[in-house]
Amino acid sequence: MTNRKIILPGEKIADGRVRVPGSFSEGEATFASVVGMLDEEGRFIPLEKRYRPAVDDTVIGMVTDARHAGYDVELNLPNAGFIPARDIRLKLELGDFVVCKVREVSEVGDVDLGEVRRLPKGKIVEFPPAKVPRLIGKKLSMITLLKENVGDILVGNNGYVWISEKANVPLAINAIKMIDEGAHFPGLTDRIAALFGKERIVGQTVEPTGE
Amino acid sequence: MASSVSAVKLVVDGKRMDGRSAEELRPLRIETGVLHEADGSSFVEWGGNKIICGVYGPRECIPRFEASPYRALVKCRYMMSPFASLDEHSRSGPSRRSTELSKVIREVFENLVLAEKFPNTQIDIYLDVLQADGGTRTASITAAAVALANAGIPMKDMVSAVAVGKADGQLMLDLGKEEDNFGQSDTPIAFSARNKDILLLQMDGLLTKEELMSVVDMAERASVKIHAMQADSLKRHYEEPGTKRFRM
Repeated sequence: MTNRKIILPGEKIADGRVRVPGSFSEGEATFASVVGMLDEEGRFIPLEKRYRPAVDDTVIGMVTDARHAGYDVELNLPNAGFIPARDIRLKLELGDFVVCKVREVSEVGDVDLGEVRRLPKGKIVEFPPAKVPRLIGKKLSMITLLKENVGDILVGNNGYVWISEKANVPLAINAIKMIDEGAHFPGLTDRIAALFGKERIVGQTVEPTGE
Repeated sequence: MASSVSAVKLVVDGKRMDGRSAEELRPLRIETGVLHEADGSSFVEWGGNKIICGVYGPRECIPRFEASPYRALVKCRYMMSPFASLDEHSRSGPSRRSTELSKVIREVFENLVLAEKFPNTQIDIYLDVLQADGGTRTASITAAAVALANAGIPMKDMVSAVAVGKADGQLMLDLGKEEDNFGQSDTPIAFSARNKDILLLQMDGLLTKEELMSVVDMAERASVKIHAMQADSLKRHYEEPGTKRFRM
């Protein structure tokens, strides 16, 4: 944390007009629009962020409405996402947890979903969207660690984390909470490993296990 | 609130009733992230003022017919608790005063929030005054700016506000309750941190043009100090993990 500087909305983060998440340009400079962190190389990392859907995001949600045309899915967004019924053969029910890909985002923020998969029984917990990359880790290191120690777990870009009913749910929630609180401090993966009573070998490479 | 009778001595030997000099702020404490359920929150203790702020959104706009396809609506609800101040505020529910304050506070943030990014939604700012001691609107704006930053709602700038007034014929910063009630003028001003835009300026009572100019200058100098304290509060919140517990 030593060389990192906390940046407030309105503070300058770069000369010239640069496109960085959580910033805006005015004149010949770029300013932060959210609370963030400026690291040694001058990179801006937002610390708080509202989830804004983008095409190809993996999102987790709950079915809140079933209509003839399709299903509404609650996605941690102002408006529910939509699964067109003609796109899927799956029959979903209210309260089902699903994982899907964002197929289209309209200009007013309505989300169309595709590649729907129903999730087995489990629990969904909320996680700050700004910290999702930390929960996944470099080369999936963190999520792999979690999967190895607590069981099946799935992270959506929208900040919803699904934990399988068969997993060690209390331990998983504990670990997720720890990641939330310590997301921007070094040595996080080691501390989580310690939580599971294991020592992580430094330099160990973790093979990505694609979903 | 301006009283024509100025029989009350509010300044004695250059010192004010609470021992402050003319350009001195009351003790100010700002805490970030004090509520679990709100998307962003803050608590401000400013002299005798105690104000808690919770921010939600952007979320679904209710009622839906109000929603704009071009931008998010900023909504603000300022409310005084029954126990916050005098008996005249003890009946809860909207009043002429709280409606006005909600409006002026909302307009401050309508100018700051990047609302175009969130069409068809609303952003809610809830301000609850637990204890009032003069200058609640400026303290509320200061609190709401921190809560919005904590919620991750994109803004062009931070804002801090302070009241400057005239009591006992003398200009003074950050009026307390008595100075406000028995003084000649009260002028709350909100300054944005980067551009120094004036986002709120109300004048209660009378000031000459020259007095108003020096009032604005005093408020601008003070807003820099208040902004530093807002920044300090947010930095503390984000630099120290697990320091979210807070005591009133």
